[in-house]
Amino acid sequence: MQMSRRQVLGAVGAFSLGAVLTSCAGFVRPASTPATGELTFTTWGSDSELVGFRKAITGFESANPGAKITLNVVPYQQIYPTVDAQLQSNTAPDIFRVDYRNFGRYAGSKQLLNLEPLLDASVGASFTDALWRAVQFDGKPYGVPHHTDTTAILYNKAAFAAAGITSVPTTLETAWTWDEFEKVALTLQRKLPAGKYPFAYNWQGQGAARWLNWLFQADGRFLDKKLRSPAIDSEAGRAAIDFTKSFFTRKLVPANNSVKSSTYASDLFFSETVAMTFAGAFLIPDAAKLANFEWGATFSPQDKRGGGDLGGNALVATAGTTKKTLAAKFLTHMVGQKTMRDFCATSSLLPTRKDLVDKGIEFTVRPELSKVFVGQASTVRAADTAQVASPAMGAITTVLSDQLEQAFIGGQSTKDTLAGMTAGIKQALSR
Amino acid sequence: MTTLNTSRRPRWVRSTLTGYAFLAPSLVLLGLFVFLPLGWAFVISLKQTNGFGDGAFVGLSNYGRLLTDPVFWRVTFNTALFTSIVVPVSMALGLGLAMLMNSVLPVRALFRTIIVLPMVISGVATALIGVLVYDQNNGIANKLLRVIGLGSIPWQSSGPGAFASVVLVTLWWRIGFNMIIYLAALQGVSPELYESARIEGANARQQLRYITWPMVGPSTFFLLIMNVIHSFQVFDVIFVLTQGGPGNSTSVLVTYAYTNGFLIRDQGYATAIGIFLLAITLVFTAIQWRVSRTRDLVE
Repeated sequence: MQMSRRQVLGAVGAFSLGAVLTSCAGFVRPASTPATGELTFTTWGSDSELVGFRKAITGFESANPGAKITLNVVPYQQIYPTVDAQLQSNTAPDIFRVDYRNFGRYAGSKQLLNLEPLLDASVGASFTDALWRAVQFDGKPYGVPHHTDTTAILYNKAAFAAAGITSVPTTLETAWTWDEFEKVALTLQRKLPAGKYPFAYNWQGQGAARWLNWLFQADGRFLDKKLRSPAIDSEAGRAAIDFTKSFFTRKLVPANNSVKSSTYASDLFFSETVAMTFAGAFLIPDAAKLANFEWGATFSPQDKRGGGDLGGNALVATAGTTKKTLAAKFLTHMVGQKTMRDFCATSSLLPTRKDLVDKGIEFTVRPELSKVFVGQASTVRAADTAQVASPAMGAITTVLSDQLEQAFIGGQSTKDTLAGMTAGIKQALSR
Repeated sequence: MTTLNTSRRPRWVRSTLTGYAFLAPSLVLLGLFVFLPLGWAFVISLKQTNGFGDGAFVGLSNYGRLLTDPVFWRVTFNTALFTSIVVPVSMALGLGLAMLMNSVLPVRALFRTIIVLPMVISGVATALIGVLVYDQNNGIANKLLRVIGLGSIPWQSSGPGAFASVVLVTLWWRIGFNMIIYLAALQGVSPELYESARIEGANARQQLRYITWPMVGPSTFFLLIMNVIHSFQVFDVIFVLTQGGPGNSTSVLVTYAYTNGFLIRDQGYATAIGIFLLAITLVFTAIQWRVSRTRDLVE
């Protein structure tokens, strides 16, 4: 093939321009340089989350003419089988959304892009320590913490008033202790009609890891500091199992509130079967629509310390993406201050950026409840999130689910439950 | 003689080749989408793998683990119990309803539609309806039981209650299919056979035993195989309705394979469970094929 002089010059020019753009985007702050190309982005999402994602994508495409993000939405139940199959067949998206409990599995299997050489060095400092730790594997960032969520309490105001409970904690420091929470539950139990219960806990639907809130509140761990061995067989572990088992033996929760139940805690709250439910902030828009009664929110109880689960999701790029720089630039955009504030406010989710946590955000729906959830999220420690980010967390969640189910409604003793958890976690870590 | 032989051989060869040419599209599709994945699955079952990378070859150790895994034996028992209840009951009810629909029942078109309706709904949707019916606090089933003074059944927090809810929802879902197949078979039975039997003095029970039952034999054979395969492979109803709980009381082989494959990420072990399921399904089908005497019966 012969090329004319003009074609040769054009090709050299295009090559040089591409090289310059690539180098700029890779080593300078990604947000400052326009980028081009197409990325595929696979996610699940509620209606409000998808509105937020689309708005953020439009913002990125406007700031970077020539960049295109193709959004692929799949149902939550199918996200991991879908992404896994795509990774196995080398047809994975460039970017996907992953919850923190599954993050370690992908990072540990070398499926994710190491963002360390692609992100500006200051990016990590803009997140809270706990959340930045949640996207690390072997000390390197393999994703960005897009948002978080954690568990607080929603309560039925009329049921509380009928039981003579006139106030709830309004600051994190005055959150109920375990004893105080138990007293509130017992007071409710005495006043509620038959078939109604004081509260429900949200550990259904692969949510068994939310039981760890009690363990963290008792100042316990489920993995040792090196994250290589189980550490749940401890005084804190015993206390957490004993306390949560008592919910069932004392009938403080409905019998179908166990871990494998198909009835979610929120449904029990909406139907007024329970007077309180433990819930994430993401539930606020649904509660505003579905709860036909006045309700409020307060902090989760505390024992030796406050504690909460690491809800929410990270955004990650796949190791096989051919557009690493563009991917890093898009991820940086998605966790920018304005983008994150808009997304979190619309979706009732919590920010991961320090500046937004410090300033606080206002949910679009029930903005007065934002401070409860933002405050509760501050109880999540980096030491907790490091354990949850373990590559074995998926298997550990199944162990927790099986053992807690046996303890709560199978009559299994605390000693056997701890032994079962220890053996299961050990096996999960050995795979 | 020689001329005759040479002229016959090419024709035989040509006819064989033509046969294979007609079979080729199906064979290629079967090979590509059934036998190749099956072979691949067997290879995975010999590995320890989380699905990423090549994994480690562990020989038959995943099959060895099956023997010593108490949960595996529990879910195998559950699968067998579920199959042994759902298959005969759904077929018996299907045949009974088909006979009713084949009679002079008033507004039978309406009844037929009502019975067949669940069949056209997906298993997930059926199970979601089941969640509303068998919610032990606010479900329709317990509300009805309380109205008639029978109290509540712990559909979600006791093993037998949860197992019963899974069986009842599956029966509701499957009966329509059984009824349709039996109805088609009954409409192919000549009325003269019944007329002759009646003239000979046969009562209704004898007509059922000696005419209806043998004449629907091919349908029974088909339904037995299909129902057993569907029961061994039940997943969606249990996944949505009970998630295998409480404990492992409603876990079956497929839900256990799913848990191992997609939650624990032990895909080699999950595939070994799948291969075990395939093996027992094939064995059962082969036994049925050998022992069924009425599978090819025609009038």
